[in-house]
Amino acid sequence: MKLEGTFTVDRPRDEVWQVLNDAEVLRDAIPGCTALEPTDDGYEATVQLKVGPVKAKFSGTVTIKEATAPDLLVLAGEGNGGVAGFAKGEARVVLLDAPGGTEVAYEAEVSIGGKLAQLGSRLIASTSRKLADHFFTRLNEIMSGEQQREAS
Amino acid sequence: MSEITLRINGKQRRVTVEGRTLLVDLIRDQMNLTGTHVGCDTSQCGACVVKLDGDTVKSCTVLTATLPEGTEITTIEGVSTGDLHPMQEAFSKCHGLQCGFCTPGLVVTAIDIVERSPDGLSASQVRKALKGNLCRCTGYQNIVASVLEGARAMGVQVTEEKETV
Amino acid sequence: MKDTPEKPFKGRLEDRRFLTGKGRYVADITLARQCYMGQVLSTHAHARILSVDTSEAETMPGVIAVLTGADCAADGLGTVPPFFMPSLWGGPEGYATQRKILVDDRVRCVGERIAIVIAETADDARVAAETIMVDYAPLPVVTDARAATEADAPKLWDDNENGNISVSIPMGDKAATEAAFADAEVTIKRRLLSPRIAPFSLEPRVSVGNYDEADDRYTLYTSSQDPHGVRSNIARNVLKIAESRLRVVSPDVGGGFGLKAHMHPEDALVLWASKHVGRPVKWLGTRSECMLTDTQGRGQEIEVEIAATKAGKLTAIRAEAWTNLGAYFWGTATPPLFFAMQLIPNIYDVGAVDLTNHAVFTNLPPMSVYRGAGRPEATYLAERMMDELAAELGMDQAEIRKINAIAPDAMPYTTATGMTYDSGAFADMIDAAARVSDWSGYDARAEESRAKGRVRGRSLISYVEVAGVMNERMEIKFEPDGTVTIVAGTHSHGQGHATVFSEMVADWLSVPVENIRYVQGDTDKVLIGRGTFAARSSMLGGTALLRAKDALIERAKLMAAILLEADKDSLDFADGMFKVRDSNKAIALTEVAKMYYIPAGPANALGLGLTGEGTSAGKPGAAPNYPNGTMVCEVEVDPRTGALTVDRLAALDDVGRILNSTICEGQIHGGIAQGMGQALMEEMVFDEDGQLTSGSLMDYCLPRAEHMPDIASELSEVTCTTNPLGVKGIGESGAIGAPVAIVNAVLDAVRPLGVAHIDMPVTQAKLWSALRDAEAAQ
Repeated sequence: MKLEGTFTVDRPRDEVWQVLNDAEVLRDAIPGCTALEPTDDGYEATVQLKVGPVKAKFSGTVTIKEATAPDLLVLAGEGNGGVAGFAKGEARVVLLDAPGGTEVAYEAEVSIGGKLAQLGSRLIASTSRKLADHFFTRLNEIMSGEQQREAS
Repeated sequence: MSEITLRINGKQRRVTVEGRTLLVDLIRDQMNLTGTHVGCDTSQCGACVVKLDGDTVKSCTVLTATLPEGTEITTIEGVSTGDLHPMQEAFSKCHGLQCGFCTPGLVVTAIDIVERSPDGLSASQVRKALKGNLCRCTGYQNIVASVLEGARAMGVQVTEEKETV
Repeated sequence: MKDTPEKPFKGRLEDRRFLTGKGRYVADITLARQCYMGQVLSTHAHARILSVDTSEAETMPGVIAVLTGADCAADGLGTVPPFFMPSLWGGPEGYATQRKILVDDRVRCVGERIAIVIAETADDARVAAETIMVDYAPLPVVTDARAATEADAPKLWDDNENGNISVSIPMGDKAATEAAFADAEVTIKRRLLSPRIAPFSLEPRVSVGNYDEADDRYTLYTSSQDPHGVRSNIARNVLKIAESRLRVVSPDVGGGFGLKAHMHPEDALVLWASKHVGRPVKWLGTRSECMLTDTQGRGQEIEVEIAATKAGKLTAIRAEAWTNLGAYFWGTATPPLFFAMQLIPNIYDVGAVDLTNHAVFTNLPPMSVYRGAGRPEATYLAERMMDELAAELGMDQAEIRKINAIAPDAMPYTTATGMTYDSGAFADMIDAAARVSDWSGYDARAEESRAKGRVRGRSLISYVEVAGVMNERMEIKFEPDGTVTIVAGTHSHGQGHATVFSEMVADWLSVPVENIRYVQGDTDKVLIGRGTFAARSSMLGGTALLRAKDALIERAKLMAAILLEADKDSLDFADGMFKVRDSNKAIALTEVAKMYYIPAGPANALGLGLTGEGTSAGKPGAAPNYPNGTMVCEVEVDPRTGALTVDRLAALDDVGRILNSTICEGQIHGGIAQGMGQALMEEMVFDEDGQLTSGSLMDYCLPRAEHMPDIASELSEVTCTTNPLGVKGIGESGAIGAPVAIVNAVLDAVRPLGVAHIDMPVTQAKLWSALRDAEAAQ
């Protein structure tokens, strides 16, 4: 299934690019993320997620397939939640200058399996939208926090 | 684990439950009242309906530990003692049951429907009021007839309107 | 017998326990020291299993054991073949799968059982199962039966020489059909779909297994329509033990509908696990687990073309079907493959037919029987096409059917598909149904609908059911005190056998019905039986019961002759008494029976006990009775929103001699509701990766009371000639007729608005889209 969305972050493009590639920031900003370690070509991560009635711990890998600073990021990922199911897919993240900051647009093609598909497929679009929302809100918070620290 | 005192079918019972213990599991596994059934896991089939302080509830949606002390619970086993309740009689007489699995939830629901309709009841009202209970055997035809028959026996007037759906 | 004011229906003997919460379903059975089983199900529709990591689960609270496919192999457990293949019914040889009860190498659909956890509580078992990590290497997936026959489709069974086709069953006369098409004045072609649906017994599947080391014997409590069949399958194929070493008990069963006509892997798993842990093991299927792992019904795509004259007489039908078997040829999948073709002629003289049904493997969970088992697909085709022909020729729905109906004086009549109907008054049924349904009052109702801004449509369809397959055995036994026990080979799970069979015996023997006990569903109590499915019990169970009675009376006569000091051949049995012809000497059967249990005395020579057994069988190669009926349906559609209500539905059923009219009608009502679910709301939806996306009641819609119209049901008694009781089956008729009755009525309503075709389930969204598309096209 296809997921897409756009968010505005009120910081310049190269700063946004930097945090999007900062493992520590990502660990903090990804909802439910309990571990995120850089690897040669991406990350290994563990995420606790709840989609409708399905609650599970997913462990998986994210591979950075393309990175053109500070414009474009193509990521491929797959996570295994055991009995709860799995998710895998590819996401394209585009950064654009926008009034007062940066517009981040993402497009992802995701396939899900197991309980996640059986009980949660109806909820995937809305849940992922909500998760992305949390992510970018948290990103904004982190970046404005850093900004304040820099200013003081 | 927490302790709570409930009145189940008129008897006071002190029970120990986990935070996750659903009322239906308490009723079936700890009270050994197996007339209350589990037909789904999303609270949509109504096989587990019981009375809780005068209201019908799907007992698979109730966390036992959250109930107030002294909560009154009536299961199918408490609907009648000795002679059948008029609603139970009506289900038998009108062939409102086949495999019997949905029956306890339906009988408890049906009595409640009638008790809440002192001014009269029609077939289409019964159909709407049964929306929380699934039956896969009867096509509902004889269940609706049973509820109306039970209503008559319970002294509630049945309005003979043409059924419209 | 029909209910009358003098002899009204008084309820069933089994009702009281269900109404008071005292029914005994398998979930209610708790054995001392029992523990619980949780399962790991495949999340991929097609993948190699690289590894199964159970290490965390083994350390979880309450866990007693974790078992995988490797353990199955180490213990030498066998695999499960189909119950029987089409070759047993005269079809070609096909590819039969062997299914592992725990899969260790390659999963072929979602929901395959990979590992089990045995733990102290059901919650412990489920929680621990969630920690088991299976590493998969995904393989390409194919979900559509027709796509699976393409040369480049992913293949499910490497050694199947026929690609993904298990078997293609041909039927009819190709040359005659081609000739008829060459001469045809009218031909119509359609592609019809019967999607996969869930049998959905309200009681989820459940099993308790217990291995008793002292006896070296297993006991399985399971929710089954056929306990002896389950016993044979598990003992012979999985555990490889003597059948006498396994007892199967199927107590009260909360609905079957074909789902429980065969074993499921969990039945074998709880037994095997019980031996492993030395304790009884219980598995309680959750609804979402069952949605994924239950066998499903239907799943057919068919291309059909009919040939007819301008006067509306059918001359030929040709059709090619693709039936979606799923990953395995499982359980009783054979009958629907045949019935979906054999019943295409329905009540009509159709001329020649040329039919093929391809049974195709895909990466979906296995298909098996569901109420109707192929008959609804056949009827859907016959009656959809009959309406297409009527619409094409501008003819009345009832008229065109009467033109084609087989005449009563043609009986016995052998159809172009080789079924021999013994009896049936089809055109009369159409007239009678029109009367029951107020066919002539339709115009006024259509006008009322128009005034409300809605459109009304109607249908009149007929159907034939083929009922009562295989063979059966029943036993009647007098107890020493003169009470009676019936030991039934059939299995009632809602059909009211305890009442109907007891009433029959009470009537035959003049024993009060309260002195009769009815026993079924336990392989230790019932010598052998086939269980209940395919509307078989009235004819095969009933006939066997009648023969058991005859045998019992014959034996009783020997004792009566001694006691009455008369010649055996001078005795008549009537009203519970043996009477010496032309004399006033008589003795009650009950007294005779008691004498068979006296330890000494002159009557002792006849040996101990008075019992009678009877067996029965359908005719070889052909089914023994053909219930049939006509259904009339009216729907109302709001053309702006696609909202649809089934406003009226009348069913007239020829059930042969009626044994109990209230129970018969109850069966019809229930079948109609299931048919309505199929027509309007039910569908097992899989995405292109083979993932089930309608896996709970949040996404799978079932009919509720407010969806159903008030059903007008009437019974007609055309005595069946193929059995001594004159009965015909009744279990499936409603489910056979209702889908097409409803869809045809919908099409009748929207055809004037430009919608010529729609597939099941006709949801509001689908109907709305079709109406908008038609609007745009005009």
